[in-house]
Amino acid sequence: MEKDKNGKLKIGIYELTGCAGDALLILDCEKELVSIFKAANIQSFLMAKSDNIDGELDVALVEGSVTTEKEKEELLDIRKRAKVVVGIGTCACFGGIQAVFLDKKEWEKNFKKVYGDIKMKHVKPVQSKPINAYIEVDYYLPGCPIGKEQFLSTFNRIIRGNPPELYGFPVCVECKWNENDCLLNKDIPCLGPVTRAGCGSICINHNLPCVGCWGPVEDANLTSEFKLLREKGFDYDFIKKKMATFSGTGMADFLGKLEGEKK
Amino acid sequence: MKKISVDHLARVEGSGGISVTIDGKVVTDVKFSIFEGPRLVERLTLGKTPEEDVNIVPRICAICSISHKYAAIRAMENALSVKVPSKVVQFRELMHLGEMIESHSLHLYYLALPDYVGFPNAIAMASEYELEVKIALEMKGFGNHIMKTASGRYIHGENPVIGGFGKFPSKEELIWIKNRAIQFMPFVLKTTELFCKLDYPDTPEDDTIYACCNPGQKKYGFAGDEIILSTGEIIEKEDYKNLTNEFLVSHSYAKRSRYKGEPYSVGSLARINNLGERLKGKAGKMYKKYFNHRWEKNPLFNNAAQAIEILYAFERIPKIIDKMLKLPDPPIVKYTKKEGKGTGIVEAPRGLLIHSYEVSDGFVSFTDIITPTAQNAEDIERYCCIAAQKLLNSGEEDKIRDRMELVVRAFDPCISCSAHMAEVKKAPEEDWKTKLDKIMKEGSPIFIGVGNRNRSDDGAGIELALELRKHGIKDILLESEINEREAPWKNRNYRPLVFLDAVDFREKPGKVTLVPIHYIFSNSALSHRLLPFISDEMNYERLKNSFVLGVQPKSIIEGKKISRPVRQALTRVLELIVN
Ligand code: SF4
Ligand code: SF4
Repeated sequence: MEKDKNGKLKIGIYELTGCAGDALLILDCEKELVSIFKAANIQSFLMAKSDNIDGELDVALVEGSVTTEKEKEELLDIRKRAKVVVGIGTCACFGGIQAVFLDKKEWEKNFKKVYGDIKMKHVKPVQSKPINAYIEVDYYLPGCPIGKEQFLSTFNRIIRGNPPELYGFPVCVECKWNENDCLLNKDIPCLGPVTRAGCGSICINHNLPCVGCWGPVEDANLTSEFKLLREKGFDYDFIKKKMATFSGTGMADFLGKLEGEKK
Repeated sequence: MKKISVDHLARVEGSGGISVTIDGKVVTDVKFSIFEGPRLVERLTLGKTPEEDVNIVPRICAICSISHKYAAIRAMENALSVKVPSKVVQFRELMHLGEMIESHSLHLYYLALPDYVGFPNAIAMASEYELEVKIALEMKGFGNHIMKTASGRYIHGENPVIGGFGKFPSKEELIWIKNRAIQFMPFVLKTTELFCKLDYPDTPEDDTIYACCNPGQKKYGFAGDEIILSTGEIIEKEDYKNLTNEFLVSHSYAKRSRYKGEPYSVGSLARINNLGERLKGKAGKMYKKYFNHRWEKNPLFNNAAQAIEILYAFERIPKIIDKMLKLPDPPIVKYTKKEGKGTGIVEAPRGLLIHSYEVSDGFVSFTDIITPTAQNAEDIERYCCIAAQKLLNSGEEDKIRDRMELVVRAFDPCISCSAHMAEVKKAPEEDWKTKLDKIMKEGSPIFIGVGNRNRSDDGAGIELALELRKHGIKDILLESEINEREAPWKNRNYRPLVFLDAVDFREKPGKVTLVPIHYIFSNSALSHRLLPFISDEMNYERLKNSFVLGVQPKSIIEGKKISRPVRQALTRVLELIVN
């Protein structure tokens, strides 16, 4: 990657539809923040500065999912300007909590219920989709929100031109490292086995089940998680809803198939 | 207007902007809009268990995530009759204070101060105010630390649940937090002095209604079971709709609120105005030292109010921790109830936050969430309109853009939308034509002629009305024909009203301007004798649909005839309406 005249990479941080949690987490890196601004040339970061420039970029970090035509255009424009695009947060990676209405008709029905027939002037709504529905994404950094350690190490690797490394295993592994008692053994519905590690199994460390906010891990054994929860006596719809909450498009195929089998 | 069903979009924080349109010397349009896409969060919670709802709703906004969680838990516990022990109550207050400290210091130092000292951002400001920026970061970090201790993570931690907490902090941890809070005191006092003494411009200033939670008899605080207004009225939390009366506008996905047709404000300044007298200790002293009548009508003082609240929070923390240290860690309270309705209200850093639910057969069947920025939106527009018009009057048009940013930012709508985008637009030539055309196309308006025919140009409105009548246009009324009881603004059928009048905009004689009627009310220089009287009689639906078509008079002299430029203007209006 090229550097600017001061030898720094040009970086932009963008927010689409989400809760701004991932951008806020970057701001929450108080001590490291000044170093981040020193190490890279932050061209655009609406949450932190008002003198933003929309030019060529080395790296664009994009938070949030696409829910309006305008955001779609913005995203396409970011892709054109940036050499590397990284999706940050579960919304950008999988569509987020707002991506649960996979059926278009149902989404339209819901939209109407909330907004009636009102015509919005600026922004035509579309159903929430992760950014890879519209552009090619180079790297993903999931989490709702992303974790500080993972963000800093990823950021560091990226500005040195190395691809980020994510954990390819589930939260369960981190949970074992932290020597927690397995909640599933206590019949508490925990999504640790199918959720990507990275948070440090923080919920289970607090005696609470994982709700899956990091999104699904690759090759997650969804069928066995589902069967296990069924064996523990949980209701079919209950498990389905639980798995769908944060997984957006990540588990859509599996959940769709499940629906088929039920019928 | 068509009524739209009760559920609505909760998330309002996000990207947005403010724009003002100026037609010559008059502000004719102000729009605070939120471009954020729709997330339908309330709908997402339907069919979920109460616990899952508590997982999801903080994702409405990361910046207020603890407040959302807190409000949701309070509402659910209310619905499901869960009573939590004292230690849980204390720990929740502590976590909420953490969010206040974090959010207020982020807002004050990162966003507000750079404006007042002339830097584009806090990092740039650090070159001159290194110590301030450093300590501000530490202070924000301390708020974050409390939130992390209480909730498990910086943002969206799942530790607070219905019935209590998954885990309580150790004694050592609590003592560390207490000591740190005490250590910080000198800098906190400096922060308070700094922001109370800032030179806040006196534009805009105007009265409003302030609303916040009433934390109980004589107490200051950030949660309660009733809403208190600056008018002295009290509203039970279950009756929150009496305050919020929501409606949609087409330029934003966030719903709006008005109380009895009037905009109102929530947030730090509302709390300090309504409850400031109750502050004790150092915060009480600061309040007494700095609070004055300007705080009652100038939204820019929200920054000063936030600084006093930081001080309050730092004084409160050691007291809460002392109580917590004496109490054992209780297990999560179990409940068996599967049905119920409940409302929970808390003060998010930026104001009153309401969550209301119905649970049926163990699942959420109704959700209503009302956020502070949705409630402030109308006042944000109104104050921007006042500021822009005043600067225009004093010939300082170049200051409008920055001033509007200052106003929007003072309301602290959220960091992403407060950091950018204020726009000043020039209305196109003869803008009134397009607007009048639109009003006539969208609904058949009633024209009302206002004025005094014996005083030259003051008779323009009456003259025009009579001419229209002559041309066979229906629905024309004269001021003198209106009988009080049947006045068209009392009518429940909301056809648009267009008042025809001579209005002194300090323009070229004969210039025609079309403005929403409420802009005339908030611009004392413009108000005609009839209009203020009407304003009390109009509800908001009516107000939104009423306009003034004003012609700039040349002179208003007893016994004289209408001047030439005004007469020409009347002909142009006549032509447009008749054709
Ligand atoms: S991924 Fe989570 S934290 Fe990030 S924007 Fe979406 S809801 Fe917020
Ligand atoms: S344990 Fe699960 S729900 Fe909790 S933070 Fe980690 S991934 Fe998210």
